[in-house]
Amino acid sequence: MSSQRQVWTALATLLLILVVLSPALFIVQMSFRTGRDAFQMPPTLVFRVTLQNYADVLQGKFVRALTNSTVTATAATVLALVLGVPAAYALSRTRFRGAGLVSLWTLSTRMAPAIAFGIPFFLIYKHLGLIDTRLGLVIIYLTFNLSLVIWMMRAFFDALPRSLEEAAYIDGAGIVKAFSTIALPLSAPGLATTAIFTFLLSWNDFFYSLLLTRSEAVTAPVAIVNFMNYESWEWGKVAAAATMIMLPVVALSAIVRKYLVRGLTAGALKG
Amino acid sequence: MEGMNRRRFLRSAALTVGVTASGVQLSRASAQSRKPYADARIKMSQVSHAYADALTAKLPTFEQQTGIKVEIDQMSFPVLNQREDLELASGSGAYDVMQMIFIRTGRWIGAGWAEPLNAYIDNPQLTDKAALDVKDFVPGAMAPFRRGETIYALPWLADSTVVGYRADLFDKAGYAKFPETFEALQEAAQKIHTRQTAAFVTQDNLHWIFPNWLLSYGGSFFANPPSDLTPTFDTPEAIKAAELFTAMLSKYSPPGGIKLDASIAEAIMQQGKAACYLDGMGNTQHIIDPKKTTLGDRMAFTDTPRGPKGHFPQLAVHGYFINKASKNKNAAWEFIKWAVSKDTMLSAALNQGHLAGTRASVLDNADVRHKFTWRGSDLATLHLSVMKRAGAGYMAYRTVPQFPPIGDRVIIAMTAIASGQTNVIDGMKSLQKDAEGILEKAGVKLRGKG
Repeated sequence: MSSQRQVWTALATLLLILVVLSPALFIVQMSFRTGRDAFQMPPTLVFRVTLQNYADVLQGKFVRALTNSTVTATAATVLALVLGVPAAYALSRTRFRGAGLVSLWTLSTRMAPAIAFGIPFFLIYKHLGLIDTRLGLVIIYLTFNLSLVIWMMRAFFDALPRSLEEAAYIDGAGIVKAFSTIALPLSAPGLATTAIFTFLLSWNDFFYSLLLTRSEAVTAPVAIVNFMNYESWEWGKVAAAATMIMLPVVALSAIVRKYLVRGLTAGALKG
Repeated sequence: MEGMNRRRFLRSAALTVGVTASGVQLSRASAQSRKPYADARIKMSQVSHAYADALTAKLPTFEQQTGIKVEIDQMSFPVLNQREDLELASGSGAYDVMQMIFIRTGRWIGAGWAEPLNAYIDNPQLTDKAALDVKDFVPGAMAPFRRGETIYALPWLADSTVVGYRADLFDKAGYAKFPETFEALQEAAQKIHTRQTAAFVTQDNLHWIFPNWLLSYGGSFFANPPSDLTPTFDTPEAIKAAELFTAMLSKYSPPGGIKLDASIAEAIMQQGKAACYLDGMGNTQHIIDPKKTTLGDRMAFTDTPRGPKGHFPQLAVHGYFINKASKNKNAAWEFIKWAVSKDTMLSAALNQGHLAGTRASVLDNADVRHKFTWRGSDLATLHLSVMKRAGAGYMAYRTVPQFPPIGDRVIIAMTAIASGQTNVIDGMKSLQKDAEGILEKAGVKLRGKG
C-alpha cells in the first residue's frame, strides 16, 4: 500500500471513529460544561471546564445506584457463566433425547419483548417480597442471560476439536477434568466475549429496573432519568452520570479487548 | 458511723436512681403522648421538583416533632407516571403518600385507590382545621381533587400557562406590549421570525399547549364534561384553533419545533434562539436562571393571549393523597398536613423558588411577590389570577378518566397536521373518530350514537 493511500485510509478511519463516537463524545464534553455552556450552538471547542456536575452527582443518591448496577450486573454475569458454561458444554458434547428441545427452550425467555414478561414478574416478585431488592434483579438478569451464555458458549465449544478431550480421556481424565483443563482454557476468548455481552445486557437494563425497583435497589440507568426534573432537566448531571456509566464498560472492554476480537471471530467459524 | 454512712449513701443512691428512672419513664411517656406516631415509617412517591427539595430540607424538623420517619422517593415524571399507576393497580401499599397527577384523577379516584380525606380533616384529634385552612387553597387548584364535597388530595403544585418573551425583540418589531390575542401573536410572529431566531417555541406535550388556543376559539375536548363526554374535535371552532396553533408550530418555531421536549424548548429560549415561549409558570424561573442564560434581563412574562371566545390559560395541578392500601394512614395524613402547610409552602417559595404554589396566602405574601417580580411582571399575582379563573371549571376536561389516551391522540393529530402529513380538517376528523373509539370502548355513551 502506498504511503499516500495509507494516509487517506488513516484519515477515513479517524473520521469514521469520530462519527461513530460523536454521541458519546458530545455527552462527555457536556459533562464538563456549565449550565450556560451546555447547549451552546454550535458547540465551542474552548470552554471553561467545570467538575461541578460530577461533584453534584457524587453527592446524591447516584453513587448508590451505580453500586447497585455494579453488584447486580457482576453477580448476574458470574452466575450466568457458572451455570451456563457447563450447560453449554453438556449440550455441545453429549447426545441425549430432547437435546434440541432443551436448547430451544432455553431461548424461551428471549422469545418475546421484555414488556411481555413485565406484569407476571411484577406480581410474582410482589408476593415473594423481591421488589426493590438486588437479589430480585440478579434473578431476572440471570434468567435472560443464561440463554445467551448457553447459545454463545455452545458455538465456541462446538468449534473446539473433540480429539483434544478424547486424548485427555485416554490419559485418564474425567469429564470434569477435561472440561476444566482443556475445553475451558481453550474457550477463554469465547468466555470473555460472552461475559462482556451478558454484563452489558444487565448493566444497561432499564425496563426491569424501572419496574421492579424503588429506591433501595434502583440501578444507574433508571437513576439517571431522575435527573429529569419536572420543570427543568439537569443536563449537566445527566451528562456526568452518563459518562460515569460508560466508564466501567470502556474499562472492561479495554481489559478483555485481546480476547474479545478473537472470541468474536472464533465463534463465527462454526455455527 | 462508717456503716451508717454507707447505708445512708446506698439508700440515697437507690432513691436517686429510682427517681431518675421514674423521671425517664415519665418523660418518655410524655414524649410518646406528644409523638403518637413515634417509630412509624412512611414512604412517599414524588416527582423530582424543587418542592421535594424543600420538603427534604425541612424533613428533620418534622421527623423530630412527630417521630415519623419519612422516605421521599423522588423520580422523573415519566417514571412517576408508570410507577404510581402500577403500584395502585396492583394494590401495593409500598407508598403511603403519593402524588396525585391531575390527568389521572378520574381513573385513580374512580377506582377507589385514594383515601377520602374528609374524615381526617374533620377529626379534631387529627387536624387543627384552622391551621390547615383548606379554604386557603385556591379553588382552581382544589377542583380536580374534589368529587362533590369529598376531598381526595391536597394540592402543592398548580402549573399555570404563561408567556415568556424577549422584550427587546418584540420592541424592535414595534410591539411595546406582548400581543393580546392569538391572531395578533401570529402577525407579530411573521415579522419577528428569522432563520436565526424563531418567533415561537413550546414543548411537545401538545395536549397541554393546544387547549390554550382550542378553548379560546370556542372549541372543547368534550361537549360538557363530565356529564356529556361526546368529543368535539371536528367542530368549526376546534378546526380554526388547530389551524392557528399548528401554523405557529410549522411556520414560526425552530427546526424540529413540533417535537421539542420541554427542557430543550427551555434551552432554546435560554440560548436566544426563540423570541417567545408558552409553557408552565414553574419554567419561568429556569428561563431567567443566571446559571443557564445571559439573556434573563431581556426576558419578560405576561398572560397567555386570548381568542374571540375569551381567555383560557391552562392549569395542571398535582396534590398529595393517601394510598388506600397504606397501613400507616394516620401518619401519612400527619405528613400531608405538614407538606402542604402554609409554613412549608412559604419556605418552598422563598428558599427553593417554588412559584407555582397553591395557597392564596403564600402567593399574596409580600416577600413572595417581591421575589417573583421580574421586570415589572408580578408572576405570583399572575399565577393566582390564572388559578382563580380556572376555578370556573373549564379545566374539567382533563379529569375525565379517558383523557390520557385521548390526550395522546391530540398530540399525534397536532403533529400530523403541523408536519403536513394531513390537512387540518382531515386531521381533526380523524382525531374525533379516535376519541369516539376510545370512549365507546370504555363504555361511555356518546350523543347521537347507539
